[in-house]
Amino acid sequence: MANTETSLKEAASIEGAIGAALVDYTSGMALGTIGGGKELDLNVAAAGNTDVVRAKVRAMEMLGLNDEIEDILITLGSQYHLIRLLKTRGNNGLFLYLALDKNRANLAMARHQLKKIEAELDI
Amino acid sequence: MLVRLAAERATGALLRDHGTLYLVDGRVVHAESPAAPGVDVLLTTAGRLPREGWDEAVDRAGAHRAVGRFLVDSGRLHDGELEICHLGAVFDAAFFALSPTSGPTRFRYGVGHWFGTVRPVSAEAVERETVRRRELLDAVWPYAAVDTAPVVPRPAAPGQHAGARRRALLAAADGVRTPAELARVLGRPAFHTLLDVRRLAAAGLVETPLDGAPDATPAPTPAFPPVPPVADPDIALLRRLRDALEAHL
Repeated sequence: MANTETSLKEAASIEGAIGAALVDYTSGMALGTIGGGKELDLNVAAAGNTDVVRAKVRAMEMLGLNDEIEDILITLGSQYHLIRLLKTRGNNGLFLYLALDKNRANLAMARHQLKKIEAELDI
Repeated sequence: MLVRLAAERATGALLRDHGTLYLVDGRVVHAESPAAPGVDVLLTTAGRLPREGWDEAVDRAGAHRAVGRFLVDSGRLHDGELEICHLGAVFDAAFFALSPTSGPTRFRYGVGHWFGTVRPVSAEAVERETVRRRELLDAVWPYAAVDTAPVVPRPAAPGQHAGARRRALLAAADGVRTPAELARVLGRPAFHTLLDVRRLAAAGLVETPLDGAPDATPAPTPAFPPVPPVADPDIALLRRLRDALEAHL
């Protein structure tokens, strides 16, 4: 079974990946990050995208949709940002955050790989 | 002091008023605080691990300081699970241990913790996260009174919803339990509970029974002296002011 480090390394090896983070979405803390560099501060991205997830969860509750979010896609001019909410046994709310270069990434493939990484992490 | 210990790659325990940080080679490997539920509470209350499983791991591996490792090797937990739960508990306890205090700070060289090393984190990351957490709490609701006082639910306004996690918190908030006790009952990190309580306070969904309403906590002193009543308000000026404000917001 994978640990957080191997999962992040796998996420970083997805074609077109700029950076990835494993985020606790109650506190907004990144439990682990990889890549990112100067252009993308993943700790800031982790905290900011927590608000995105919370807003969507709230919207779904207001709509009375009794369902779960599998992933969230944000398309920028030059990047894709993928947020995949993880199903956990405990009561930790976690998501994987992946930033991709739009020119180099294959979106369908990236989503599929992220799903596989979640299954391997097994939390 | 933490920065200095990290720089000299110290190993030992940093003891403060509200908790203890354990370092190995200048990196933080464990933290404990009376204010934060430990890994055992987080794992057993959520039903992830039976209490006996935890006790056995402590009995058999505590002496070698490898309880965490034992939980994984004996098949009770997965690797990723242990890491995430332990990291969550470490940052949670560190938040309280590093809170500003007037008390003494001591460092005992060479002291280790029986849980063992799971994933060391840099002292800088722990400090940065602690500061971020403090700022986040104040950004949500700047009155710290709800952090320590027992809170009780207030009726929701029409159309107001609380999510499942916060509904569980509201159900446990009986006006006797403090947020730290709520965290223990629910098996959640204490900081997460504080954050939820502050969000609920900001939404008007909880109040502290002692002072009636969270608003009654000492408000910052007004920066301007009270304005004497004006007999003839300049309506046109007020309208222009309103329009300008609306254009800005």
